[in-house]
Amino acid sequence: MACRAVNKRRHVGLQQLSSFAETGRTFLGPVKSSKFVTSEDCLESVLISSTVRLLESLDLSSTVGQLLKEAVQAQNNTYKTGSSTLLFLVGAWSSAAEECLHLGVPVSIIASVMSEGVGSCIEEVASLQVPVHSVFGHGDNTKTISGLETPRVGSCPFLQVPAGAGGIKEEHDFKDAASQSLTMYSPSRRPVKLPEFFNLPAKVKAGTEASQALRSSLHTDTCSRKSALILSRHFNQADDSLWISKPDGFLEQHSTATPETYRCRDLVELAVGLSHGDLSTMELVEAAARLQYQKACVRQGHCTVPFVFDVSRVFACCLPGVPETFSCVCSGYVTVVSTASITLIKELENQPVQVVLIEGDLTESYHHLGFNKSANIKTVLDSTELPRDSSEERWASRVLQVLTQFNVNLILVQGSVSESLTEKCVHSKRLVVGSVGSGVMQAFAEAAGAVPVTYITQVSAACVGSGVSVTAWRTPLEVRGGNDGMPVLVTVEGINLVTAVLTSSVTAQIHAKEDRFWTCAYRLHHALKEEKVLLGGGAVEFLCLSHLRILAEQSLRRGGHTCSGWLHNASSWLASSLPAYRPAVLERLAEGWRRYLSALMCNAATCSAELGAHTFIEHHVHNAAGSGSPSAYILNEYSKLNSGIFNAYIPGKLEQVPRVYDSVTPKIEAWRRALDLVLLVLKTDSEIITGLGHTQINSQELEGLLFL
Amino acid sequence: MSRLEAKKPSVCKSEPLTNETVRATLSVLKGVLTSCYGPSGRLKQLHNGLGGYVCTTSQSSALLRNLSVTHPILKILTTSVQNHVSCFSDCGLFTAILCCNLIENVQKIDLTPTTVIKLNKHLLSLCTNYLKSEACGCRIPVDFSSSQILLCLVRSILTSKPACMLTRKEIDHISTLILRAFLLTIPENTDDSIILGKSIIVPLKGQRVTDSTVLPGVLIEMSEVQLKRMLPIKKASALKVALFCVSLSGDFADTGEGTVVVSYGMSLENAALDQLLNLGRQLISDHVDLVLCQKVIHPSLKQFLSTHHIIAIDRVGVALMEPLSKVTGSISPSSYGIVKELCSAKFGSKHFFHLIPDEATICSLLLSNRNDTAWDELKLTCQAALHILHLTIKEPWALLGGGCTETHLAAFIRYKARNEPESILTDDGCTQAELQLIAEAFCSALESLAGSLEHDGGEIVTDMKYGHLWSVQGDCPSVVNWPDLLSRCGCGLYSSQEELSWSFLRSTCHPFVPQTCLPHETVSPTSNLIVDCLTAKLSGLQVAVETANLILDLSYVIEDKN
Repeated sequence: MACRAVNKRRHVGLQQLSSFAETGRTFLGPVKSSKFVTSEDCLESVLISSTVRLLESLDLSSTVGQLLKEAVQAQNNTYKTGSSTLLFLVGAWSSAAEECLHLGVPVSIIASVMSEGVGSCIEEVASLQVPVHSVFGHGDNTKTISGLETPRVGSCPFLQVPAGAGGIKEEHDFKDAASQSLTMYSPSRRPVKLPEFFNLPAKVKAGTEASQALRSSLHTDTCSRKSALILSRHFNQADDSLWISKPDGFLEQHSTATPETYRCRDLVELAVGLSHGDLSTMELVEAAARLQYQKACVRQGHCTVPFVFDVSRVFACCLPGVPETFSCVCSGYVTVVSTASITLIKELENQPVQVVLIEGDLTESYHHLGFNKSANIKTVLDSTELPRDSSEERWASRVLQVLTQFNVNLILVQGSVSESLTEKCVHSKRLVVGSVGSGVMQAFAEAAGAVPVTYITQVSAACVGSGVSVTAWRTPLEVRGGNDGMPVLVTVEGINLVTAVLTSSVTAQIHAKEDRFWTCAYRLHHALKEEKVLLGGGAVEFLCLSHLRILAEQSLRRGGHTCSGWLHNASSWLASSLPAYRPAVLERLAEGWRRYLSALMCNAATCSAELGAHTFIEHHVHNAAGSGSPSAYILNEYSKLNSGIFNAYIPGKLEQVPRVYDSVTPKIEAWRRALDLVLLVLKTDSEIITGLGHTQINSQELEGLLFL
Repeated sequence: MSRLEAKKPSVCKSEPLTNETVRATLSVLKGVLTSCYGPSGRLKQLHNGLGGYVCTTSQSSALLRNLSVTHPILKILTTSVQNHVSCFSDCGLFTAILCCNLIENVQKIDLTPTTVIKLNKHLLSLCTNYLKSEACGCRIPVDFSSSQILLCLVRSILTSKPACMLTRKEIDHISTLILRAFLLTIPENTDDSIILGKSIIVPLKGQRVTDSTVLPGVLIEMSEVQLKRMLPIKKASALKVALFCVSLSGDFADTGEGTVVVSYGMSLENAALDQLLNLGRQLISDHVDLVLCQKVIHPSLKQFLSTHHIIAIDRVGVALMEPLSKVTGSISPSSYGIVKELCSAKFGSKHFFHLIPDEATICSLLLSNRNDTAWDELKLTCQAALHILHLTIKEPWALLGGGCTETHLAAFIRYKARNEPESILTDDGCTQAELQLIAEAFCSALESLAGSLEHDGGEIVTDMKYGHLWSVQGDCPSVVNWPDLLSRCGCGLYSSQEELSWSFLRSTCHPFVPQTCLPHETVSPTSNLIVDCLTAKLSGLQVAVETANLILDLSYVIEDKN
């Protein structure tokens, strides 16, 4: 066993983190530059356009690299979004922590001030939350991003979506949204009498929804806000919390722009905001959500519970080699079957068919999980008569017998399917589809009334589903004619399953397209589930930057008595010397946000150089700090559509630039994960390699190793 | 062809502790352990160097499990610490570092091992008697009628494990959960003997820490699809449960060496399935509502049962079997059990069947943390905390933590050795001078252990009244206004404004009797004390001294080289 110190003068772990994170810099923001990752051994190359894929294909064998990979994967598995933010912040904050180390700040203080700072930012950005309420119920349901009408989506599964991102056709909607957002409660600087103050927001807010929004902001407010903070600007219903005492004994009233007046009530607005520049993909997601909503309404009569976009009932079918314009969303299940079944499908097309769902493989040798085949069994022939068929053939004929008995023409199999059986089934006019996902199976089980079974021998009349229609998925131009299979649409009345058919004429892009689809889908899912979104496009990060700058300045001015509440061991000397180091650490942390913003701007090409971005950001930070309330400043700037800081993404159409949104929990969790990883590495002082003797390490690696 | 090889002679080394490499490795090990100690301890990344899983930890149980030490002396040390940890779950680093300190300090003294060992034993019994006595000034009673000290106890354990990566708020949340889980394992109506139940830790990785929760009963994880298929559960009254620990998958028992000969056309599988279906019929006629199986149930049997409205859950896993039989009261296979309610639950992305017992001492602690390595650490910590609470029931005392017990104990020993040496030395031929030497070594081992809590260049001072530990900035001027520089002592009991006087550790101050605090008065309801479990610390002290004695007593290491 060997042991190596990683923390002598320079912290190797933090340096590694920031250099790993640098690789993902270009994936930040809506304009992503793809990368080629080539392998030197086999000269293979992969086109990468997301952080997760990048880390998958990088060889990060060091401990820190592995922790990084683990963190990004955990974020991706839980939320499917926020990985690039996570990666970038890991880099920015690990350099921040390293700089603090250079300044001689003790590790424990760096850790506690950084987590205090990020915690305070998280509380702060609650003021930029935008409630999302009944986006489906409002107005006419027929608006979509692309301007297509929903009935067409419903009746015709072959929804055509124009290529490219220029899909915002409903200009008047956006003007509405913009004007709505401008009816902001105007900031009142001077102290007003309490009753008046209470009356004002009541005029702005509409009824019960507003009070709900208020409650939600109240909740975040009551968590652990110290009265010493002078930055709170949430509305509170408790009388005293409206008035926040400043240290000099002045009562200051914080009632500037309220986020409650911002509300997202329109699915199109929400979807465009969450698309992050990828409108074409978001259109598909939005159409999928609408389809699901309609089905839910049909099922439940009218939707009383808030509709949640169920991603597990969305399936993506990738068709490489088909032009992008054929991407669409349809109700039911689209999959690719072998071209040999073309005639079969034509025959099945005009009749409702019966279906059987098989959970395991459909092969002769398949046994359910947990069944151990005994090796010591010998079969002997009693008679001289040899069996005519092989066991495989006998099994196949048994399967066909069952299918014939119950008049089943479609078999959906979760596992793999024996090829010879598929052929035999085609001959007897039955379609077998393998590798069907469990969500799809469940959807068919519900809608067609089928019961999934493990073995074909289990099939009884009660297990067979009916009323399924099988049609060829034809693109209007019949572009497909290759040998690599043909897409079919399998559906049944009332099925709660939406398939997004993703097409791309460039085969290398199809996986990236699928990734993007799921990212968008999960963003919308989180937004609808949480019923709130954050103002995106750098607004929250900008608020964090201004907030931390102000915090740093305050603690510099006030010195002595700051809260040591974040230090675990309050009795240690660290608690009393913490105020001395606090401004420096907060300043470095804020620098991380600044780097984030400037990377965002450089990627989006709003600023050609780092320097320009720097000046631009500093200018606004200065203004925000001067305005007294950064979040009010941001809300103000945000509504001035052409101010250019937060919505620089869609160039050229300034008059109808929509707001950018972000999902709340995934974003905040990405911050926390990034910080956790940085602190984990910061607090680590040595790595211990287990199970190594002196002999197993080559001499060049021996340096700095201690053996036990 | 076999080949005979001459046996190599065994290697015998004398006085292993005098060996320079042994000393060096011992000090490396000590360095690794010391740097992990306490709430601001540094973490270690453990991995196999080949791209395996990286474990980030500062906990002795995780650390020692993965350390592969080579020298016998180190093996003695790690094994006895591991033994202690497996019995008491806490104070592992305390034990290991104290042992290393004792060995190191004694080596500087020129006394025979026999004398050292004898005196160490005397000092140990002096300590244990003091800690167990009513006069002990560094322990406080644990009041089970309020949650305050119990929460302090749990919180102290959580804070001392920095690799859990918890914020203060999260620590509060998890402490409350642990305490609630502990309370759920205590039976409501007891006769004379209490049999404590069990808390099952259910992983909920990837979620926020504050999403963790605790529920009475057992949770069985399953996929959403599976769950949907079984719902809704119609029965309103209690459900009759059959619990199987054998596989019902319909495969055949291992035939061992022999071979089974089957004639053509016979199907063993069908024969086995027929037997299973017979079992199913029996279950139906017995009006069973719920079948739980540790292993796999044959799909056909499942289908058969579900057509008769029996819920069948398989692949429950061995870990849940004991709690399940406790919850249901079913003893497999002789009797059926009962469960009050069955419902579904969803946490994060996971779906569970929730078995709610009528009254049982089983609860499920759903634990979440952001990344795997922090989750593993948190799981170990929660297990330790639950164990410590169980130990505290038996011995309802807590020791003041944060290093205060160690410095207090050192002050006490110093005083006793100086002023009442005859009470320590009975009649076994040790001189008072020898006692002074060893007592000093012992005390400084304790004090430098307390000093190991400091990792950022601070210093440790002790007050001259209670003998508690106070931490102070490293390069502070010698003449200072102590009350302003210090805030509270290590355990948080005393404030610096109480007219105390302080001195640096290891400075030559005259011994004093550390005073006994009156905890009932001083512990205000809001105070946040750092406390340790008495049982665990007492055992740690004993193990440390005894292991050090054992290692000091070694005169030969004989190694079989074959």
